[in-house]
Amino acid sequence: MLALLFILFAALAVGCALAMVAQRNPLYSAISLVGVFVSLACLYVMLAAPFIAAVQVIVYAGAIMVLVVFVIMLLNVEHEERRPPRLKFLVPMAVVLAAVLIGEVTFILVTVRDFAAPVSNVGLTHSIGSALFTQYLLPFEITSILLLMAMVGAMTLARRGGMLTANARVVPGTQQLPLSIVDPGAKPYDLRVVETDTTDEAARLLGVEGLRDQSKRD
Amino acid sequence: MDTTIDIILKFVAITVVFVVVLLVVAYTVLAERRILGFIQGRLGPNRVGPGGLLQPFADLLKFILKEDIVPDKSTRFVYFLAPVIATMSALMTMIVYPFGPDTRIPFTSITIPLVVTRFDVALLYVLGITSVGVYGIMLAGWSSNNKYSLMGGLRSSAQMISYELALGLSLIGVILLTGTLDLTQIVDRQSAWYGARWLILLQPLGFIIYMIAAIAETNRVPFDLPEAETELVAGFHTEYSAMKFALFFLAEYINMFTVAMLATTLFLGGWNFPFIESIFGRGTFLFGLVSAIIFLAKVCLILFLYIWLRGTLPRFRFDQLMNFGWKILLPLALLNIFLTATLIVLFPNL
Amino acid sequence: MAPQLSWYLALSAVLFTIGVTGVIIKRNIIAMFMCIELMLNAVNLTFVAFASFFQDVTGQLFVFIVMTVAAAEAAVGLGIIIAIFRNRETLDVDDASILKL
Repeated sequence: MLALLFILFAALAVGCALAMVAQRNPLYSAISLVGVFVSLACLYVMLAAPFIAAVQVIVYAGAIMVLVVFVIMLLNVEHEERRPPRLKFLVPMAVVLAAVLIGEVTFILVTVRDFAAPVSNVGLTHSIGSALFTQYLLPFEITSILLLMAMVGAMTLARRGGMLTANARVVPGTQQLPLSIVDPGAKPYDLRVVETDTTDEAARLLGVEGLRDQSKRD
Repeated sequence: MDTTIDIILKFVAITVVFVVVLLVVAYTVLAERRILGFIQGRLGPNRVGPGGLLQPFADLLKFILKEDIVPDKSTRFVYFLAPVIATMSALMTMIVYPFGPDTRIPFTSITIPLVVTRFDVALLYVLGITSVGVYGIMLAGWSSNNKYSLMGGLRSSAQMISYELALGLSLIGVILLTGTLDLTQIVDRQSAWYGARWLILLQPLGFIIYMIAAIAETNRVPFDLPEAETELVAGFHTEYSAMKFALFFLAEYINMFTVAMLATTLFLGGWNFPFIESIFGRGTFLFGLVSAIIFLAKVCLILFLYIWLRGTLPRFRFDQLMNFGWKILLPLALLNIFLTATLIVLFPNL
Repeated sequence: MAPQLSWYLALSAVLFTIGVTGVIIKRNIIAMFMCIELMLNAVNLTFVAFASFFQDVTGQLFVFIVMTVAAAEAAVGLGIIIAIFRNRETLDVDDASILKL
């Protein structure tokens, strides 16, 4: 019974992995990879690791691959073209080596035996939590710093151009102009914001004298 | 032989839950139309059957008989896959909610718990399945080959993954107070204080954050910009017609139902009600029946809250929505965890 | 009979090999990234299998850490991919293989 389940999930995982490598459309590759992740999560449940299985679905299938599919959709990635094969002798060599690999794997599967079946209380949340927060506390804390580094890195890469000031309000359809257009003597830390349609009105609201004479001079 | 009976019982339980869910969801659609009508000063549909009670069947017939239009340049496989993913992930979470306590079936001596299955990481399972539900919307938006659908799909999935964080964090307070991820045990822990130790009393901020994040997750008003008719035609399900649209519609309402059941289980005490256990006695059939009815009543209360919000509130603009999710709700959820931890340290016997 | 440890290790080896093949064959940066994720998952399977058959929770904790590292790598890696796309207008690794824009 368990062997049948293992064969089912293993076949699903290998099938989706082969589909992922063979597809030329990256979106179909991403969907096949989600299939691999879900079948691996089922295998983890069979291996008495329900917490890791749930975390695999949440993190890999539910967050990382969503991000990848987002990027594929935003960048509008298309098919790859098939390039002309240049090194023709590699294909027979690959077939021979694959046969060797399959032979080795079959040998292992047939001859190695006698291991105990998985016990059902090694992967419960309680045991993972107690080990993570007592014996393996240092890797846990270092992981949190790693995630902070990743967040800062991703935000830096995604930023376009310079930052706006904290109280700058950008309304679509208008343009944000610096204060020095209206008031040449304005200090750089002056962060007053006014929203008007003309610079004359802005000058009047900000209390700058003499602008009318300047604009009428030209 | 034992395992065969077990498997048959599980199939029966799954069928019962499936039928109950579909019936409640179908009548939620009708209830929404009637209640929105009353809020807006009109009657809803009340022609089909007595008081409109057969309206869901009329709707079902309409959806089945409509013409199925498939856009010409869409990617076929993904176009057909998207509503399947959305509906499947909405339905898969139904198996872990406890409808009632251990009940003795009348005229026999078998005691069964009124839940399809219970396992150690049930709450994480629910969170995982709702994360996978984002794919249905994203793939629907992409595969329709329509710029309104693509914008709606991208916005909707960005909204969903942003509010998933606040949702998960608001549930940590519950996990801290009950010490387990198993939903049946969480409900059992809420039967202390004569059945009145509902976690909403100990976690009011957590409940509010959970409800707001869950309403954003299910794309309902006031967070329904990605599928509002006046904004983006119909968002990610513009190009879907007939049965596939019915599947998306169904998936949205089943998600609402899931959120309501999770809120009831975690915050409103599940099937608990003060002093019911002392009236009926533990483990009797009547206790189980009354508990299941109380559970469904609480779920309907949360669904009424959803419909009430739809009738009264305007919708958020998309940047206001993202601003709210990241800059206000997420720090509030972290504050909630801090406060809950302080509460546990100060009152360890609570 | 119950699945043996060797079965899980063989499956992990097959998945890892498929991942390596993908990294070598593919020309699209995002596809190569996905094959790297497949390799990481094959290693995760090995860790969980050993943790289960030797009844030690350390293997599962290491899987936890590997998943966190993979998430961090995904965030930064996809940011880099978007930055490359903005500058070069192509996602083909062979076309983007020289430093000159």
